Amino acid sequence: MSITIHALSHSYGADTPVLQGIDLRIKKGSLFGLLGPNGAGKTTLVSILNTLVKKDSGRVEVCGYDLDSQVQKVKACSGYVPQGYAFYPQLNARENLEFFAALHGLQGARMRRRIEYAIEATALEQKALQRAYTYSGGLKRRLNIAIGLLNDPRVLYLDEPTVGIDPQSRHYILEVIKKINRRKQTTIVYTSHYMEEIEYLCDEVAILDGGKVLLQSSVSELTKAGRAATLTLSGQPAQACEGVRYEKRRAYVDLSRGYDTLRRFLNLLEKERIEVLDMQSGRGDLEQFFLQVTSERLRDG
Amino acid sequence: MMLGYIVKKEFTLIFRDIHALLVLFVMPTLFILIMSLALHDSYSQKMEVKFQVALLENGEEQPLAYTMLMQKLRQSGTFHFQSVKSESSLKELLYQKGYDFAVAFPADFKQRLQNDRESFRARFFARSDVSPRQMALLKGLYSTNVSKVLLEQVLGSLGVSAAENDIGDRIESRYVYKQNDKGAKPTSVQQSVPAWLVFSMFFILIPISNTFINEKRLGTIERIRSIDVSLWPILFGKFLPYFVINQIQVVLMIAVGYFLVPLLGGDRLQIAGNPLHIALMAAAVSFASICFALLIANISKTTEEATSIGGVSNIILAALGGIMVPKFVMPEFMQEVTEYSPMAWALQGFLELFTRAGGLSDIAADAGKLLLFGIISLLLSFYILQKGSR
Repeated sequence: MSITIHALSHSYGADTPVLQGIDLRIKKGSLFGLLGPNGAGKTTLVSILNTLVKKDSGRVEVCGYDLDSQVQKVKACSGYVPQGYAFYPQLNARENLEFFAALHGLQGARMRRRIEYAIEATALEQKALQRAYTYSGGLKRRLNIAIGLLNDPRVLYLDEPTVGIDPQSRHYILEVIKKINRRKQTTIVYTSHYMEEIEYLCDEVAILDGGKVLLQSSVSELTKAGRAATLTLSGQPAQACEGVRYEKRRAYVDLSRGYDTLRRFLNLLEKERIEVLDMQSGRGDLEQFFLQVTSERLRDG
Repeated sequence: MMLGYIVKKEFTLIFRDIHALLVLFVMPTLFILIMSLALHDSYSQKMEVKFQVALLENGEEQPLAYTMLMQKLRQSGTFHFQSVKSESSLKELLYQKGYDFAVAFPADFKQRLQNDRESFRARFFARSDVSPRQMALLKGLYSTNVSKVLLEQVLGSLGVSAAENDIGDRIESRYVYKQNDKGAKPTSVQQSVPAWLVFSMFFILIPISNTFINEKRLGTIERIRSIDVSLWPILFGKFLPYFVINQIQVVLMIAVGYFLVPLLGGDRLQIAGNPLHIALMAAAVSFASICFALLIANISKTTEEATSIGGVSNIILAALGGIMVPKFVMPEFMQEVTEYSPMAWALQGFLELFTRAGGLSDIAADAGKLLLFGIISLLLSFYILQKGSR
C-alpha cells in the first residue's frame, strides 16, 4: 500500500469536526480520485497527508512511513501541487524550478537532471525562460505540477489541478498526469470537482461527505452502479419502492441490476395514477452516482 | 547552496518590482531633497525669504533717532521693512499687498519717551496666519533697537563711542560636540538625511509584505511547508537581501546629502561620526525594520491589509519619532511619547553620529532597543508562520 489511513479524525475547534473516523487504503502506483462536495473534508485530508495540518487522532502511513514519527521521510517521498499557482510569477519556469529544487536539497548535476525531467514531463521546454506571469492558465498549471515533481515523489497530491483552464489544456494536463503515473508508478491522489476527469483518469475513487468516507471503490464499479433512469412525474408517489429515490417530482431508478426495479416502479405509478412526463436513462456516470450518494443539496449556499 | 538560491530568488523579485524600487530609493531621495531645501532657511541665519513689514508713516518730520532706528531695523536678516503711506487700510496691506506685519509708532519716539511716556505707544499688526513666535521676534527686534538708539545718543552726548560698547560684538558662541571638534553645524540636511533615511529603511515593509502575502495567497508558503526544509533559512533568506537593500539606501542617502543637495543650493551633509559606527547603527535599524515588516506580513491576510497596516503604522511611527517634525520643536509630553517609537531610536542614533560626533557608547542604548524590538518581532513572526494559523 502507498497510503494507509485508519480512524483518522480532525476538527477545527471543539464544535467543528472536519474528518470523522476516515479509513482509506490507496494502492501503490494507483491513480486515486478523492471526490466530495464543498466542505466534505478533502483539502483537510490532503493537508494532513502533506504534514501541513496535524491530525487529532488516527493512524496514517505514507510510503510505509508513520506520519507522526517519520515526518521527514513522509515529506521526502511526497510531492504536493496546491490548488493555487504556488510559484513566483515574476520568475521564469526555470528560476522557479531552481528555487524549489534547492529547497529539496538538490544541487549540481542532480538538480539539473530533476529540473530537466520536470520540464520535459510537463512540456514546458518552449516557455522555460519566459516569466511565469505571462503564461496562459494551462501553462501555469503545468508549471505548478512540474514543481511538484522535483523531488521525484512516490506519492503526488494534486489538489484540483485543472481549475479555471480551457478544455484543451485540461485534456493535456490529464495526459501529463497519466504519463507521470505510468513512467515511475507514482501514486497520484487527485481531488477534483470534475467527475468526468476522475472517471477518465482514476482507477479508484473515494467519496467523502460530512467528514466521512461514504464509499471507496474502483471507478468501473461505481459507473456500473451509477446506471439509472431519471423520471419526471406529475406527482410524488405515496408508497416507497425499493431501488427508487424520490426528490420532489423526480424519481431516480437504479438500473444497475437490470430493469426489474423500473418495471415495479411503473406498476406503482399506474396504481397511484401518476403520469410519467419525461424519462432519461443511459450509461451511468460518476456524476450521477456522486449525486445519488451525497444527495443533490447545495453545500455552500 | 540552498540559502544562495533563496537569496537569489528574493533579489530577483525585488529588482523586477519597479514600484518597490521607487518606494525604496526614489521616494527618500526626493524627500531629502525637498525637505533639505525647504527647511534650509529655518536652520540658517540668512533668510532668502524675509517677512515683509510695512512701516506706517504718519507724515511727521523724521528726527535723527528715527532715521537711526530705521537703519538698524533694515539690517535685520529676518524682516524686510518698507515705509508705506498710511492711505491704505490695514486689511489691504496685510491681505492684498502681501505684507506679513504692519507697524506704527511715532517718529518722535525719543521725545515722547523723555517727556510723555503715556503717549509713546508702538502698534504691531499681523496677518492671522503669522506665527506668534514671529510677532514676538519682531517686537523684540524693535525694542532692542529702540534701546540701542537711545543708548547710543546718551553715550554720544557724553563723548563715548557706542560702537565700542556694542554687547552683541562681545558675545562668543560655538557648538560643543561630544567627542571631538569635528561635529557638524546643525543644518536642514543634517536633520533631513537621517530622518528620511530611517523612514525609507522602515518602508521596506511594503515590498516585504507584498512578496510574503502573495506567497501565502498563492499557496507558495504552504508548498514550502510541505517540503522538508526548516523555516529559518527561509526567513534568513528573506532577511539578507532586504538587509543589503537597506545598506544600499544608507550609502545612497548619504551620497544624496553629500553631493546632490549642495548642487541644488542646499548645505552639504557633514558626517561627524565614525563610518564604522554608522554601519553598526544602520545594521541595527535594518534588523528592526525587516523583522517588523515580517511581523506585519505575517499578521496580514491581504496585500491591501498589509499596505494599510504597514503604511499607517510607518507614518504614525515617523510622526511620533521626530521624522516629520523634529523632536526639539515638540512640546514636552510629545517628546516623552517619542521615546516609544523605534523610528525615534533609529533617528536618535543617527543624529548622534551625523551631527553630535557621538561614539559607540552614545548609540548603544538606541541600537540595543532596536535589536530587542527586532528580536521580539522576529520571534512572533516565526511563531505565526510555523503555526500557519492565518
